[in-house]
Amino acid sequence: MGQNFKLAMAGEGGQGVQSVAMILTEGAYDSGREAIYIPNFGVEQRGGVSIAFVQIGSKPIEAPKFKTADMVVALSDRAVLRTGMYVGPETVFIYDESTKATEEDLPRQAKKIIPIPAIAIAKEEFNPRVFNIIIMGAIIGLSQVLTEEQAREAIENKLGYKFEQKPELREMNFNALSRGINLVQGLL
Amino acid sequence: MADKPIVGEKRAFMTGNEAVTWAALAAGAHIMYGYPITPQNEIMHYWTRMAPKYDRGFLQTEDELSAGFTCIGGVLAGKRAFTGTAGPGTILMQEPLSMAEMMRIPMVTVICQRGGPSTATVIYSQQETRLTCFGGNGEGYRLVYSTAGQQDLFDYTIKAFNVAWKYRFPTFILSDGYQSKMREPLTIYDPEERGIKMVETEPLLGGTGIPGVDRDPRHLRNTYNMEDELYQVVMDMDQEYKRIAPEVVEYKAMETEDAELVLVAHGIVSRATEGAVRVLREQGYRVGHFRPITLRPFPGEALKEAVAKARRVLVVESSMGQLAGMVKEELYDLSVPVTGYFRPGEGITAEEVVEQVRGR
Repeated sequence: MGQNFKLAMAGEGGQGVQSVAMILTEGAYDSGREAIYIPNFGVEQRGGVSIAFVQIGSKPIEAPKFKTADMVVALSDRAVLRTGMYVGPETVFIYDESTKATEEDLPRQAKKIIPIPAIAIAKEEFNPRVFNIIIMGAIIGLSQVLTEEQAREAIENKLGYKFEQKPELREMNFNALSRGINLVQGLL
Repeated sequence: MADKPIVGEKRAFMTGNEAVTWAALAAGAHIMYGYPITPQNEIMHYWTRMAPKYDRGFLQTEDELSAGFTCIGGVLAGKRAFTGTAGPGTILMQEPLSMAEMMRIPMVTVICQRGGPSTATVIYSQQETRLTCFGGNGEGYRLVYSTAGQQDLFDYTIKAFNVAWKYRFPTFILSDGYQSKMREPLTIYDPEERGIKMVETEPLLGGTGIPGVDRDPRHLRNTYNMEDELYQVVMDMDQEYKRIAPEVVEYKAMETEDAELVLVAHGIVSRATEGAVRVLREQGYRVGHFRPITLRPFPGEALKEAVAKARRVLVVESSMGQLAGMVKEELYDLSVPVTGYFRPGEGITAEEVVEQVRGR
């Protein structure tokens, strides 16, 4: 991967794509790295494809957007189609198994295409709402852009106020994170 | 009531809209007037959240026309007042902004450019450049700073209040949706602790004493009966604008001394073009970079110097040549050809600028 880690993450509005991007970049910033995060969405209040562009590196980051990502994460049918343009021959493409993406929808030029069952796992083992944290786990598991410990701290910083009221949520989020990391072990 | 919004210096990771809000608070802005529009909204949101803690004011108006006019009212009352808008809102605000030009009202306006024409996208562009510089039925007697990220937004928002009140021209922060929404690190600070003294504000109307007896009367006009009368007013304004221009212009030149090709870009695009220059220099290309920070007044003399040895100028921008038009006007009497790489409403990366240059 290049000097800066470039991630494009897309899903339906409300899937938590932007939250994960924010947690990732704030985690990177808190651990002394340079980071930039820019959300991108249409004029719809609800239901559009929402994309997050993230860059994390050791030097100040130039343009906030990029043409080709090191990693693309697509979490819905439309997101798969929408994000193909950010995939190059060095890009790892991750998508959720539950999408109805066919062979033809997937970006064949990718270095590797990895389907993961995050939505199903969230539903069966945790709670549908931590689906995005499983995804976050998969991202850091594949990219090493944050350690699990740094990711936990970043989640704590962002969601700590919710954990205060419901301490069991902390464990659920942290377990979902680990589950995401383990899910992609050895896949690259 | 909390004391100072920022004590000392702090590293922060925030959006551009937050950076503007913190800067306005730190600069001692008294009141914001505004009407919501993406991507400007969060300046209002953050301001309304923080203003009460520091005894500052806020007025949401019924549209951008009112936001502009009420902002003028705030300034007339002696308040360090500002507003912000974007896209179609920038169009509507031209009437009050034009009035501010005519009456030399030191209001500060933050423009968060979105795609155009019309509603277009809520995301990003550099298509409000011309409108911000020359909107209204006047001559563009405005001071416009084009920022390139969070640190700029913080620094120049503070500066805008001072420049506005020092020179008494409406002053603009020309930002964009990328800067508004993206998060990146910056240092926020209390201006006073950095030796930046805020220019005192004063009521432009309703001063104490009897006008003509205790003090000079102040007659703020935007209406004239005679054409020769108006002519004189505009010419005086023009002269004053030209007088202060050398004190106000700001730019950044990079590697231009021996450059055969000079890239020109403003705002956030300049980060991509500067990045491209670094890459191209490593590959042996004699490429330089010129970034006007003030678009009004335009650093024309500095630009001429920067392109003195160039065989070509390439203007890179997220509009269809709005900056290029200004550049061509400045370089009219030089023989160097001015070309453009234009991506209206779309972001530009260092990689594609490198490709553009190498493809020639």
